[in-house]
Amino acid sequence: MGNIKSKKLTVLLVDDEDRFREALSRQLSVRGFNVLSAANGEDAVKMVHNNAIDVTILDQKMPGMGGTQTFNEIKKIDPLIEIIMLTGQATVDDALEIMKQGAFDYIMKPMTIDELLFKIEDAYTRKVLMEKKNQKK
Amino acid sequence: MERIKKIIRRIFQKPDDLTASDVEELRLDFKSRYHNFKLLLTANNKALEIMADMERALHGSSAFGMSFIRAGCTAASVNVFNMIKNLKQLAPEKYLSLDEKFNEIRLNIDTIFNQKKEIRDTRLVLTLEDVNKDMADIVGSKMANIGEIKNVLGISTPEGFVITSAAYETFVSENNLQTEIDRLFQTAGGDNLQEFDILSAQIQQYIINADMPDSLADAINRAWKKLESKSEFGKQTMVALRSSAIGEDFQDSSFAGQYRSILNASVENIFHSYKEVLAGKYSVQAISYRLNRGFKDEDISMCVGCMDMVAAEAGGVIYSHSPVDMDDDSIFINSVWGLPKSVVDGSDSNDQFVVSRKPAIKLVSEDVRTKKIKLTCFSKSGLQREILPEDLQNAPSITKEQVLKLAGIAITLEGYYSSPQDIEWAITKDGLIYILQCRPMQQIKRDVKNLYPASAKANNGSIIIKGGITASPGSAYGKVFLAEKRADILAFPQNAVLVVKQALPVWASLLSRASAIISEKGGFAGHLANVAREFSVPAIFGVENAMAILRDENTITVDADSLAVYKGKIESLLTKKTVKKNLMHGSPVYETLKKVSGFIVPLNLLDPDSNDFKPANCKTLHDITRFIHEKSVIEMFDFGREHKFSERAGKQLFYHAPMKWWILNLDDGFKKEIKSKYVRLENIESIPMLAFWEGFAAIPWDGPPPIDGKGFMSVMFQSTTNPALIPGVRSKYVDRNYFMVSKNYCNLSSRLGYHFATMEALVSDRAFENYVSFQFKGGAADYNRRFRRIQFITDILEGYDFRVDVNEDNLIARVEGYDKKFMEKRLKILGYLLLHTRQLDMIMTNRKKVEYYRLKIQKDIEKIINQILVRDENVCLDLT
Repeated sequence: MGNIKSKKLTVLLVDDEDRFREALSRQLSVRGFNVLSAANGEDAVKMVHNNAIDVTILDQKMPGMGGTQTFNEIKKIDPLIEIIMLTGQATVDDALEIMKQGAFDYIMKPMTIDELLFKIEDAYTRKVLMEKKNQKK
Repeated sequence: MERIKKIIRRIFQKPDDLTASDVEELRLDFKSRYHNFKLLLTANNKALEIMADMERALHGSSAFGMSFIRAGCTAASVNVFNMIKNLKQLAPEKYLSLDEKFNEIRLNIDTIFNQKKEIRDTRLVLTLEDVNKDMADIVGSKMANIGEIKNVLGISTPEGFVITSAAYETFVSENNLQTEIDRLFQTAGGDNLQEFDILSAQIQQYIINADMPDSLADAINRAWKKLESKSEFGKQTMVALRSSAIGEDFQDSSFAGQYRSILNASVENIFHSYKEVLAGKYSVQAISYRLNRGFKDEDISMCVGCMDMVAAEAGGVIYSHSPVDMDDDSIFINSVWGLPKSVVDGSDSNDQFVVSRKPAIKLVSEDVRTKKIKLTCFSKSGLQREILPEDLQNAPSITKEQVLKLAGIAITLEGYYSSPQDIEWAITKDGLIYILQCRPMQQIKRDVKNLYPASAKANNGSIIIKGGITASPGSAYGKVFLAEKRADILAFPQNAVLVVKQALPVWASLLSRASAIISEKGGFAGHLANVAREFSVPAIFGVENAMAILRDENTITVDADSLAVYKGKIESLLTKKTVKKNLMHGSPVYETLKKVSGFIVPLNLLDPDSNDFKPANCKTLHDITRFIHEKSVIEMFDFGREHKFSERAGKQLFYHAPMKWWILNLDDGFKKEIKSKYVRLENIESIPMLAFWEGFAAIPWDGPPPIDGKGFMSVMFQSTTNPALIPGVRSKYVDRNYFMVSKNYCNLSSRLGYHFATMEALVSDRAFENYVSFQFKGGAADYNRRFRRIQFITDILEGYDFRVDVNEDNLIARVEGYDKKFMEKRLKILGYLLLHTRQLDMIMTNRKKVEYYRLKIQKDIEKIINQILVRDENVCLDLT
């Protein structure tokens, strides 16, 4: 349903599991995304400072700066960046808490690459619409 | 306030009054709404998929674990939350009470998940003297039984202590292990053995690397000192650490050999050995066993019995009844030289003595096998395999007097526990007998009449192997798979016959996939035999040279009752094929899913026209999705009208067809912008709508079927008693048919006379995203006729791959994940059925007429989907 391929999207991938992050990063690059990746929250925040990110895929459970804190830091820098939470551990409360804070969606591992791909596209559509709305104001 | 003013201004504004900037703003507004609507639909689709998965799990025979349930609940909740969020974007402040309902349902689900284990005894270690059979929840059933035997029955068991369930909980919580274990399970997902292999290694590593809590280390040290003071070996005391998990005795589960025992451990390695036994909870076979039996990981606390090591001259296992024939009350004593390990792990052959109990205890048969190895304790720690001198290899490992003594103990224990028992024992050089373990045995009712069918004799020519012992009864066929090493587990195909050298417990992880097992070694008292019987997998053990005789990939039939293996598939032997039990049914995991899904899956909100169709009546997440879906469609339609925004207002379809059809273009559903009130079919771009319409318009409707007097009276009666059929109570959308379309999406709300239907479809080149859903209800006839018509439509739809749920006279059909062509054909079928099943409820009690319409409909559908019949453009009439 989405059709937003006019621009190369920049996706920031944040996950402490190296194998998972590298594999996903490769797959997203093959599908035409500009992919940046970070192994922890601190690095992710630095990357958001220095790059124009469209969509962030963020692991909920990471050592050091956890998913929720990283989420808040990214939103502080740029509230329009859409963030898709990714998790290997699913509790309803954790998921809904971060959704209420404005996460675009909450996906559980393992997921299919297509499922993630469409979520990224949907998240980007929302970002574009929000930007246009903000311009109107 | 500003927003409300704007809305009011727009309502009273003529379309021509809109400025270019207004139009641009409305376009953006509409785009946002359409985006929210799409997200809502995606979430709805995903939530329905999860609900269908849950239903399939409940009604199917596949195994599933808690991670499946947790993931399902979280995903369903997240998607319903997303639906509420997006509906609020479409209609701010209109449906606020949905939040309250959603939270209420969520709390109900949480309560089920958060039922915590109660620890009624916080002692970390208990000496065996303090243990009895009522303490299974503190020390596990195995050690509770040993305590009872020692303290109440006065039968010899080794001295020792038990590291309790409270100790396990302390170890797990102080190292924060459960969170990490749950995360690893969740990430692994599914029931793939390769995933289990990695998962098992990761979790076991976490446990081995975890710290021993100080309180637990102190308690174990104190208990060890006490044991040393009692043991004849004093400072040289060595122990056997035996797993004794909580919940092992649940629902006829054997847990045989699924967990780990460490024999001959010294004080220096007691902590490491304890962690090894705990880690054994996550061996591949234990994970696989729990998954297939529906046990929750977190319910199983691993208690560990530490018992003085017995210097066994001989040892083995007694079955106080035959495990493969419930009616046979003989006592079966399996025995080897040295420690009994090889009897239970199936790694070597063992002697078997059969004792009858009536009129008096008497040895009735002895089968003395060649035993090459004697397992004994190594002087420091660990075990050693002694090669037996030849004269002992073929000698009986116990005397006749010892056989009878053991049989006497078995009868005492069986009598005390009032059920047949599986007893592990050891005898010292001095002839002292120690009971090491005692638990209820699993038994199977054997179909004696059918043991040796005549047909089996007729197939004697195709016998490849004869002999061995029946480890698990029944017959089955499959392709041979010779497994030599552990890694072969990963390559094992579904329904193959597992052929191995030794009947080791590690092969148990294949029992949910194997059709039968053949092993060169092992007896029916081993762990693998136990679990094979539990999983109803036929097994023959003790088959000499099986690995050399049988060839990979060859199809064979295994008849465990007549101890024969046949070449090829012998149908006549498979008539007594064992039906595999659904081991999930009634298990803790199954019951959790049943409870949880009760707040997710049932649909109670059926009739959108009813006054009860409101958030307050949502009892499940499904109800909320149903409510939101219905309201979102209405909210999307209202936008164009309320804002007098011609581009996004509904257009009427120019077509000579029954009823009026309105179409709202959501995005790219029209080929060009339509300014007038009407739209022609050739200007429609929507793939699903065009497919649906092709089916709808393919064959003209013959008109209502002729009804008999009874059918007519039924309609008259229903019209006066059924409020849903009274025009005055219908909603404003009742007498029209609405399509909402984009290029790949179509939603239809239709009322044709008394029939109410909704159809929704997403059809694009992304097959996995495609779906068609169809809901149908109503009719003017009485309930019986309406119900029969629903059954009539169900039969047709199921014949074309739809998954159909019927609730009273309400039908919900769904098909998903197929390619575009396939989906278009299904839409054509729905289009045809919507028109042609109208008023068929009237004739549903007339068998001949029903048959006539069934044949006609089948023929028509085949013509339509095979494109024998192409829509005649001449029937399209311009209504202007």
